[in-house]
Amino acid sequence: MTTNGGGSRTVSTPESSGSRSDATMTDNAPLGSPRVDDAVIESRGLDVFYGDDQALHGIDMDIPERKVTALIGPSGCGKSTFLRSINRMNDLIDIARVEGDLRFHGKNVYDDDVDPVALRRKIGMVFQKPNPFPKSIRDNVAYGLRVQGKDDGDVDAKVRTALERAALLDEVEDQLDSSGLDLSGGQQQRLCIARAIAPDPEVILMDEPASALDPVATSKIEDLVEELSEEYTVVIVTHNMQQAARISDKTAVFLTGGHLVEFDDTNKIFENPESDRVEDYITGKFG
Amino acid sequence: MARKSYQEKLTELREDILYMSEVVMERMRMGLDALEQKDDALAREVIEGDGEINRMYLDLEQDCIELLALQQPVASDLRFIAASFKIITDLERIADLAVNLGDYTLNAKEDLFPDVDVQEMGDLTLAMIEDAMMAYDTEDTDACRELADRDDDLDHFAERASEIVVRDLIERELESPAEVEALLQDVSRLLLTIRDLERVGDHAVNIAARTLYMVENDDELIY
Repeated sequence: MTTNGGGSRTVSTPESSGSRSDATMTDNAPLGSPRVDDAVIESRGLDVFYGDDQALHGIDMDIPERKVTALIGPSGCGKSTFLRSINRMNDLIDIARVEGDLRFHGKNVYDDDVDPVALRRKIGMVFQKPNPFPKSIRDNVAYGLRVQGKDDGDVDAKVRTALERAALLDEVEDQLDSSGLDLSGGQQQRLCIARAIAPDPEVILMDEPASALDPVATSKIEDLVEELSEEYTVVIVTHNMQQAARISDKTAVFLTGGHLVEFDDTNKIFENPESDRVEDYITGKFG
Repeated sequence: MARKSYQEKLTELREDILYMSEVVMERMRMGLDALEQKDDALAREVIEGDGEINRMYLDLEQDCIELLALQQPVASDLRFIAASFKIITDLERIADLAVNLGDYTLNAKEDLFPDVDVQEMGDLTLAMIEDAMMAYDTEDTDACRELADRDDDLDHFAERASEIVVRDLIERELESPAEVEALLQDVSRLLLTIRDLERVGDHAVNIAARTLYMVENDDELIY
């Protein structure tokens, strides 16, 4: 695997922690604390290309287990590309090419012997726009079980458990056979979350899951994300910085051109970031 | 445009707080002058002017709350607003202590303890407020740390002054109960004045502590 060799970037060592100046990069580490003790996902020098365009440059960070990690940054910074790299969703794009390591429990998910479908059983995904199937609520959730080979006869119980974990069961208990498309936008998104967690994955990736929802539905999703992190590792892309501040434990800030500039505890990022560029971005001075 | 207006509001907040500090320092100066010159009219001006300071404080508090609620500031902006929110409380308290100086002036009878230089102590505290606000304005963290050291000197000054008063009191030979009563009131007022000026120094250090947090995210002087 190749590692990142391009561009001047910034780096922090433990000794330089607290320094506000961005120094020239000598390795892939962003400012902040990119290493954690309980990493379930480790990205090492991850480059992603779309044809000749490089969308990510040497991303180097750990994602801690059973925590919420937020990926923030301006449009085009590569945060969604990174999210989709974690469960190989970029495989579905013909011109996408990945170099470097993306390890899940120490195993590089881009190794030849990794089955992407099996990987996605362990690393589920929820998209920006709620996308329930034109089927009943029950079948929407059961689909996730059936397609992933977990239809072992106790589907109803598993459907109810998934709906309960997605904080939707109370609202739909009497209408499990109604179409998922009849639900409100916020309910549809929670239905999609139920579908993603039904096969009992370890990691849930969320790509702006609340950006199409009203404030009430958004706050329900935010509460749900916090609850889910007790059992699952959650990685969430959001354009809403206040949302990242409210619900995440760790925050990664991607800036222009697909560079991860700083990764640290969320309170550190929003109270006292090390990078001047991150400071300018989160205070709205650019981006 | 929204963020441009936000940056302008932050600048306005800083300027308004600096203006409030100038008014508060003026009131302290007036309180000290009133005490020195036994000027009852000046003392009343300080006392009656406190409402204006309270209104300034409430307006600035509202400005801080609005910025927090509407702009959701983060990082250095958040620390600036959080520090400013605390600093205006210190300024308002200093103004209350200036009012106390006015009260003491109206009740003071004569200068019974010439060895206690209240004016010198007042000058020290005024310089501390001025330097603390300068540090806030210019984000001078060295000045913040230096102010904490100067407060130790002020505390020693206050301790020595109180000791002089008590020793003097012990050595006096008082003849009538009325004389004792009158003296006790004067002594009590003087000791309260010394304590109040010492507290003004504490507020100046609070301002420096919040400024240090604002600039460097360093809570060394706060806790």
